[in-house]
Amino acid sequence: MKYKTIIVETNKQMTDTLSATLRKAPNFELLSTFKDANSALGQSRIYNPNLFLIDVDAPQLLEMLPAFVDLFPKAVILATMSNWNAEIAYKAQKAHVVGCIIKPFKAEEIIETINLYQKRGKPDPSRIISFFSPKGRSGRTTLAALLALDLAEKTKESVALIDGDLQFGDLPIFFDLEPRHTVVDATHDIKLLTPVSFAPYFHKIKENLWILSSPERPEYAELVETDSFIEVVKMAGHIFRYLLIDLPAGFNPISLEVSNFADTNFVVAMINTGLEIEHMRRTLDMFRERRKKHKVDYPIFTRVNPCNDEEREKLELRLGYPITAIFPNEYNLVSVANSGRILYGLSHDTKLMQTVDKLSDRIISGDL
Amino acid sequence: MAEGRNSIIISIFSTSSGNGKTVTAINLAASLAKEGYAVCLVDLDLQFGDVTHYLKLEPKYTITDVQMALANKEPNFDVLNYLTRYEHVEDAGNGVEFFVLARPPLIFDAYEIEVPVVEYILNSLKWFDFVVVDLNAAFSALNLAVLDVSTIINYLGVVDFLPSVKNFKIGYDTLLRFEYEESKIRLVENRSNSQKLISGEDVERLIGNKFYHRLPNDFRSVSKSVNAGLPLMFSSPEADITKSFLQLAAEYTNKQTAEKDTPVVEENKGFFARLLSKFFG
Repeated sequence: MKYKTIIVETNKQMTDTLSATLRKAPNFELLSTFKDANSALGQSRIYNPNLFLIDVDAPQLLEMLPAFVDLFPKAVILATMSNWNAEIAYKAQKAHVVGCIIKPFKAEEIIETINLYQKRGKPDPSRIISFFSPKGRSGRTTLAALLALDLAEKTKESVALIDGDLQFGDLPIFFDLEPRHTVVDATHDIKLLTPVSFAPYFHKIKENLWILSSPERPEYAELVETDSFIEVVKMAGHIFRYLLIDLPAGFNPISLEVSNFADTNFVVAMINTGLEIEHMRRTLDMFRERRKKHKVDYPIFTRVNPCNDEEREKLELRLGYPITAIFPNEYNLVSVANSGRILYGLSHDTKLMQTVDKLSDRIISGDL
Repeated sequence: MAEGRNSIIISIFSTSSGNGKTVTAINLAASLAKEGYAVCLVDLDLQFGDVTHYLKLEPKYTITDVQMALANKEPNFDVLNYLTRYEHVEDAGNGVEFFVLARPPLIFDAYEIEVPVVEYILNSLKWFDFVVVDLNAAFSALNLAVLDVSTIINYLGVVDFLPSVKNFKIGYDTLLRFEYEESKIRLVENRSNSQKLISGEDVERLIGNKFYHRLPNDFRSVSKSVNAGLPLMFSSPEADITKSFLQLAAEYTNKQTAEKDTPVVEENKGFFARLLSKFFG
């Protein structure tokens, strides 16, 4: 297939550079170049283009992205920027363009970028979901892993897990893998990365599902700055349609910042001696008081027995907050997770998987 | 470091929370107190510590007040005035008494506690024979400072689940890498006889050291103890787990009790031994 391309670019020199690149490239045909949105919108129709490269360094062009998407629904629209800017990338995604690319670029990079975003799924902003727990042994990582698997399977869109439990992350063991890149590398390199060069940091677990692992030694966690970690989350959130972040237990700079940044934060605690209800209440109080912006945090209890509405109501009464979901114990789960077989999933007949199923449906529908 | 201080500091540490640190800290403190020692239990799980919940104490002061008093340079400051007394006496005059330094009431205040304040506190508790410190599960500046001044690191693990085994191993290797003496680290296996697929022996082989002590699994007695707000010796005096805590205390005080460890029967599953070696070489 040939990319019949229109360049919309405010910078004359950049227009020349990009035009020269495309003229040499075999798979590309440069139809025309424009400096402003109105000319591009008005005149491009006669060319029947299937690729737009639109300069979003220029605020007026960024504003006009929805008009391009409207008028050329079948064309691939890439927002071009001189430097990675997560906020602009987010705005572009809200305008439903296919993706972003960093200027200047080679023709192959355009193809790589298009391939990357085609795997991503719908050209909508990402869902960023964090999993927080007051203490460990809460079922938090298990829930994150099961939801990621379920989302990948149901939506066929790209799903990524980031192991934010930097000292004692369990995701690699859940999926039985030895990653080449970890969060430490990603945060170290993030300032130099672009969506296309960052994507390979994620390890592919199965179709539509990727993971960025925690470092192998607890002290390496020290190397991860919170700001860089948030930058990693932002770029990953741009590349993947669903981004799930497993956080370390308790409040620390990373768990606070990430749960603040995420659009959805699940707070997970496992019922054991009953003291967990108090931990959950204090956590939700803390979030309610300290959140910079208004947001609901979703409490989830695991290993609830009996796992029924009556028990949930009892828990809600003690907690003083509505509970988003309760999970039963699943004895089989321990041996499945122990053996790295979680990838193949659990039987959907179990109450636990039915609850995961409902939760992922609510995420997909936007109810959560 | 430990210069000029007579009290023995036992820190209760692990690398994943929810595996019985608080239960261990409280029952070890109670068992030491039962032997007649002066014991102070310091709750340094600052965000989510359960010591006061467990013992149903309502502390008048917490570590936050100590920090404020130090910051204000209060005259006649004495850390002893900030402790909460725990006492339980049965009809027969059988009882224990020990002291607790409570964690901050608010999670946000937990953030504000400074490492030098904690070091100062631990050094000021020299009136006590034993100071038992309940930590949280992380390698933080605060925890490392406490481990530095500890006489003994009671390193607790529940090794029923592969991620827990991995974290137990990683934590132990990290402690050694940070040059804590091997003799100072006491490996204690919790819930050692629970139904599980990974044997304690496999774990010992993996980490290259023996468990110093094994606490049996007894969810029922522990729940009863938490609900009653009483150390196990009062809520379930005859339970194996109660005896196991008394033994652990005896080992730390070099008094051997007559009864020996309840034998731990385990089933060795070869598959997991292989799996462990796969992950950890």
